[in-house]
Amino acid sequence: MDFQFTEDEIRFRDSVIEFCKRYLEPKWVEIDEKKLIPVDLIKRMGEQGLFAIPVAEEYGGMGGTITMAAIAVEEIAYHDPSVATAVYTLLNNGWPFVLSMFANEEVKGEILPKVAEGEAFYGIATTEAHGGSDIGGIRTTAKKKDGSWVINGQKTFISGVREVADLPCGGGWFMLARTGRMEEAHRALTAFSLIPRWNGKFKDGFEYSVYEEIGRHGISTGEFTLKEFEVDDKYRIGDVNKGFYLAMEGFNVARILVAAACIGTSRWALDQALEWIRQRRLFGRPIASFQGVSFRLAELYTELEAAKLLVYKAAWLADKIYIEKATGFRPADLNVPVAMAKMKAPELAVKIYEEVLKWFGAYGYTKESNVYRGWLGVFSYTIGAEGAQNIMRYIVARDVIGRDYVKA
Amino acid sequence: MKILIPVKYTIDVSQLKFDESTKQPLLDACPKAMGDADKCAVEEALRIKEKLGGTTAVVSIISGDEGLRVIRDAYAMGVDEGYAVYHPEAERLDALSIARIIAGVYRAKGPYDLILIGLASGDTHSGVVGPTLAAILDIPVISGADSLEVTDEGLVRAKCMMEDGTYVFEARTPAVVTVTTEINEPRIPTLKAILKSKKKPISKVELKDIGLEGISAGIEVLDAKKYEVPRKRVIIDATDPSKIDECIEKIVGLLREEGVL
Repeated sequence: MDFQFTEDEIRFRDSVIEFCKRYLEPKWVEIDEKKLIPVDLIKRMGEQGLFAIPVAEEYGGMGGTITMAAIAVEEIAYHDPSVATAVYTLLNNGWPFVLSMFANEEVKGEILPKVAEGEAFYGIATTEAHGGSDIGGIRTTAKKKDGSWVINGQKTFISGVREVADLPCGGGWFMLARTGRMEEAHRALTAFSLIPRWNGKFKDGFEYSVYEEIGRHGISTGEFTLKEFEVDDKYRIGDVNKGFYLAMEGFNVARILVAAACIGTSRWALDQALEWIRQRRLFGRPIASFQGVSFRLAELYTELEAAKLLVYKAAWLADKIYIEKATGFRPADLNVPVAMAKMKAPELAVKIYEEVLKWFGAYGYTKESNVYRGWLGVFSYTIGAEGAQNIMRYIVARDVIGRDYVKA
Repeated sequence: MKILIPVKYTIDVSQLKFDESTKQPLLDACPKAMGDADKCAVEEALRIKEKLGGTTAVVSIISGDEGLRVIRDAYAMGVDEGYAVYHPEAERLDALSIARIIAGVYRAKGPYDLILIGLASGDTHSGVVGPTLAAILDIPVISGADSLEVTDEGLVRAKCMMEDGTYVFEARTPAVVTVTTEINEPRIPTLKAILKSKKKPISKVELKDIGLEGISAGIEVLDAKKYEVPRKRVIIDATDPSKIDECIEKIVGLLREEGVL
């Protein structure tokens, strides 16, 4: 057993830190204020190789690992603790990786290099108005017509709608649509690469709008409507009616990265707190000398270390399965370790922020302090995004207690 | 243009911690990497190569394989060749010994048109390796270049900012130039470059091959402690407004005693 990063991972982490200090840290407040990650920063991140990290080089990726993607996302979230840039990064690592595993060669060659370069966005679009966790209830339909599919429906709370409009090339999403009867639930869903914009205007039949959110403003969230939107069959990912299973594998990878983002922003919050509690004096002594503060910090620090171990154990396992393709490891083995990491990290991050904000006192409640930006940003991950928290509990409970007892 | 860049595997001073009780630096626990000025030297060499063509090589004196990291880091930035000189006491070599070893590599693997080196390392910060190296090789040296221009014809022109102004120095190759961290912003290696760098061979240079077998460390560190200026902790009670002038006089007197005024 070895709890250390490899030399490559350490050197990569150092390079990401250097990049973030130079290009991201000075801009993160502006990103949150202006509600935009500048296109030139995304391009620069692409040049630095921060997207499509686990994607093989032959498809334009970096030829790295899921652990390396987690390292990058963690450090990016440390240097933009609002987590907006981390969300952009994790989406453009996790879902391009899924595409590289399951899409056809032509589509991989078309989309992946542009995503890796920061010229195009590639995220996930499964959530609909009826709810994100109920994937079996997806209503968007895809009907076969000659060599294409005609898609109708609406997706809500989708990250990256504005980025698809703003980036030079455009982009799109890994999307699920119903290709059978509603009663067949998740067994009648097919995955597609939905690319509404690629080097030019939006294609006909696609309309989007952007939501006003309370945090992590740099990355857009919105909805889009598909009306008789045509998708060539080459953009179908995997077999017809097997999309749900591919999406679940994709969510497992993406959830590791979500949890890594929560670790990064939590580390930042605790570092801010450490500096503050050492210098802030009350009753003639630093507040760090009060056990009410120091013991709580010790607890949170310990919990953060535990969460980090969950995240990197899941990343290590994902590498065994998908990168090393080691014998004796199956994709389903990831379900519980990933759910534990994704359950723990976001809730802990919110807990850390709430405590740190209180240590900052009234100052923490003002906009002069930037701590609130991290709090509002990371709160999104306790609501949902790549899987609701109670879905994570369900996955763990189902495995530990048994499927006969724990029903969906 | 053939350029040699000596780089040092050294502690990252920004991450150095001290033992609270003994005040000694915790050197073993401190992360090590290529120093900032050395990175700038590598970057400058790569820029010259991109403009004029040629090859770049780094040399590092290390005590163990973990020190190979600096050569791999230079590879990840784009350097062509790397030489590792193993010395069991690499961290304690004095500037003259370091310069002699680098000169040995220069002669064995060169000749080189240019040696670019960081003005001073982050740990010992002596700043004398470059000039000593030039003296041994009997070639010109320009110290502390903040900008550098090298022509095809072998003219080296460096701007150096001094306290009393900016000086422009010129030399003919072969020459040694030591660079400051102001000279450029070093490129950050990409993941692809990092992964490729570990596959690139590193040439091991034996001290006996360059006629320096038995070269000794030269430095014995007797003690190292955190430098702290103790606070005087003089308290002047200025709560009584009628005595404010008296208090000011006391403060001025104390500052005079300390030589501040």
